[in-house]
Amino acid sequence: MNLEKVIFGFFVIFACTLNFGFFIGEIDNVKVHDAGHLFAAVVVNLIALVMKFGDRTHIGATHLATSMVAMLQLLAATFVWMWQVNINHVAMNGETMSTIVSLSAGALVANLISVILLISETLRQTR
Amino acid sequence: MNEVLFVILRRLRRPLIVLIIAYAISVWGLVLVPGMDKEGNVVHLGFFHALYIISYTATTIGFGELPYEFTDPQRVWIVVCIYLCVVAWAYALGSIFHLSQEQTLRDAIARRRFALRVAAMQEPFVLIVGYGQSGIMLARMLDRMGQRMVIVETRGERAARIEIEEFQYSPLFLAADGRLPDVLVDAGVTHRKCLAMVALAGNDDSNQSVAIGGTVLNPSLRIITRVHTPIAQANLESFRNIELINPFQSFANNISLDMGSPERLRVIEWLSGLPGGVRPEPLNLPKGHWVVFGSGSFPEYFVSALTNAGVTSTRIELDANKQGENAAVQYQGMTREKVAAEIARAVGIVVCTESDALNLATVTRARSINPGVYVVIRQANVANASLIDASMASLRFVKAEVVSHKARQLLTSPLLIRFLKYLDEESGELASRTGALLEQCVGDRVPFMWVFDCFASYAGLREALAPHVDPPLSIGDLLINPETPPERIRAVPLLLLRKKQEIPLPGENTRLISGDRILFAGQRGDRELQKRFLLEPSPLTYVRSGVEPPRSWLFRHLLSRDRS
Repeated sequence: MNLEKVIFGFFVIFACTLNFGFFIGEIDNVKVHDAGHLFAAVVVNLIALVMKFGDRTHIGATHLATSMVAMLQLLAATFVWMWQVNINHVAMNGETMSTIVSLSAGALVANLISVILLISETLRQTR
Repeated sequence: MNEVLFVILRRLRRPLIVLIIAYAISVWGLVLVPGMDKEGNVVHLGFFHALYIISYTATTIGFGELPYEFTDPQRVWIVVCIYLCVVAWAYALGSIFHLSQEQTLRDAIARRRFALRVAAMQEPFVLIVGYGQSGIMLARMLDRMGQRMVIVETRGERAARIEIEEFQYSPLFLAADGRLPDVLVDAGVTHRKCLAMVALAGNDDSNQSVAIGGTVLNPSLRIITRVHTPIAQANLESFRNIELINPFQSFANNISLDMGSPERLRVIEWLSGLPGGVRPEPLNLPKGHWVVFGSGSFPEYFVSALTNAGVTSTRIELDANKQGENAAVQYQGMTREKVAAEIARAVGIVVCTESDALNLATVTRARSINPGVYVVIRQANVANASLIDASMASLRFVKAEVVSHKARQLLTSPLLIRFLKYLDEESGELASRTGALLEQCVGDRVPFMWVFDCFASYAGLREALAPHVDPPLSIGDLLINPETPPERIRAVPLLLLRKKQEIPLPGENTRLISGDRILFAGQRGDRELQKRFLLEPSPLTYVRSGVEPPRSWLFRHLLSRDRS
């Protein structure tokens, strides 16, 4: 067993599951989408992104690209949240929440691709 | 850029993850710990405020407690955060500084910057591979002529010297192995402004690899390579664009020319000296038995050159690298008595080992046996000039001088090299004719050389080169002083190059056609006088007809009406 692979796989999958956890639920229902959940998704995605730095193989580059997309989408979602609540001082409403959740849905797709890459890479390993 | 970026990213993975985790824990904790507003209600900090507070706390800036005064549990957590984040930052910064000091990364950055700067070169440049004694001399000569250079040298400390030495235009340099093709590409072998590559690396093997690598990467590039042995010479001769400099052979060749046909050597040396300098005198080497000390290919070239000149010689193997510890001088395969006898009957000796001390010792010993002997000595290191001066040798060979001089000639006046080849190969008659003409024009000075491009694209030549012009333009026309005809410019047309055809010493009434290039040798200012023919037609018309044509439209108009 390779500890590095365990940690790498752990973070890639964890990023995806946290992302999914935030995303699931009615899109404009403020109560089912938690700020802490989004925060955790951002942090774990960041770690997954940094772990993918510096791999020069083709699959490594694709991994990095998917993580970058996910990160971009999640940061956009948190930015929308911050802008509406802390800067415009508008109470969270269904409209804002649907924007945030749809952005996180995009990130979820990218994270799913990342997981698929991880699985396909594992399957190719014939050792 | 990729190389450098990937190294940085890979090395910074761990510190970045540590930082992210430290921040995440701190922010999360701050959100969880209950706070209190002014009215005493329990409120939790939002992620936005928590991130804001941690950002200035972790970097020890400290803006205070926001948005309400902290409760004691919050303060406890902030203490934890401070230590956690400061340690994380210290670790991250430490890693970054460590990385910036690392040699691998610095090399990668230096290489990258070098490649970018070479790629951005706008002016034509010469690529020199190898910055040894010959490389240094050549670089100085080219720099004085305003030629831009790119230098690649394997040894780091040598390459670093380029930075502290004084250059008019500081050359771009890289400490890397020129035998690697990617180094050559970074150094501009395939650059469109690269005029030529000069390979002066340490030994023949590396020089061959550099030259062949260069010619494979860019088949149209001129490559000038130094070789020392007949084997290397044979290997490289089959490449069309590689020109060879064999310092040993050319020196030995000069020796045999001096003995066999001194007139020819006199003219060759006359033309290849430093312009404006005094004409070199013939050496007048004594004819008789010679003794050659040394090892490797140099003495071989000498012996065959002496044989060509019809002179007997003995070769004595003397290798600076195979010296015994106890004896100062050891002759391989010969007794001391036999060597002494050889020296006693010789008229001249050649001492050409790789060590200056050994050369001096040998010369001193030979003089003690035969005081009147003619001494040709090799100075192995440029820095030892004063040592070799002390030997009072009649003739001295400095490899770096021969190589850099020849390389400069090849780079700056390729037509002269072609003419010298004719002098070398053809009968003595060409040499004596050239000598007589030069004597007339420049006296006992070394002439200046220039090439006159006889192209119809120059405004001044267009009319004269048109078909059916009578009389047709000839070389003689170019030799008339455009300021005071019929006085003449004192220059000798040495070589006419017409497409692939070369005509040495063309006569004055040789007809010119567009595309001709003529090599002239003459006095300092003559080149500027001749340049006037190129810019506008009136000087040429004036020297050809003696009438200065009107230049303005009005006068041309008046003149044509006068005639009609």
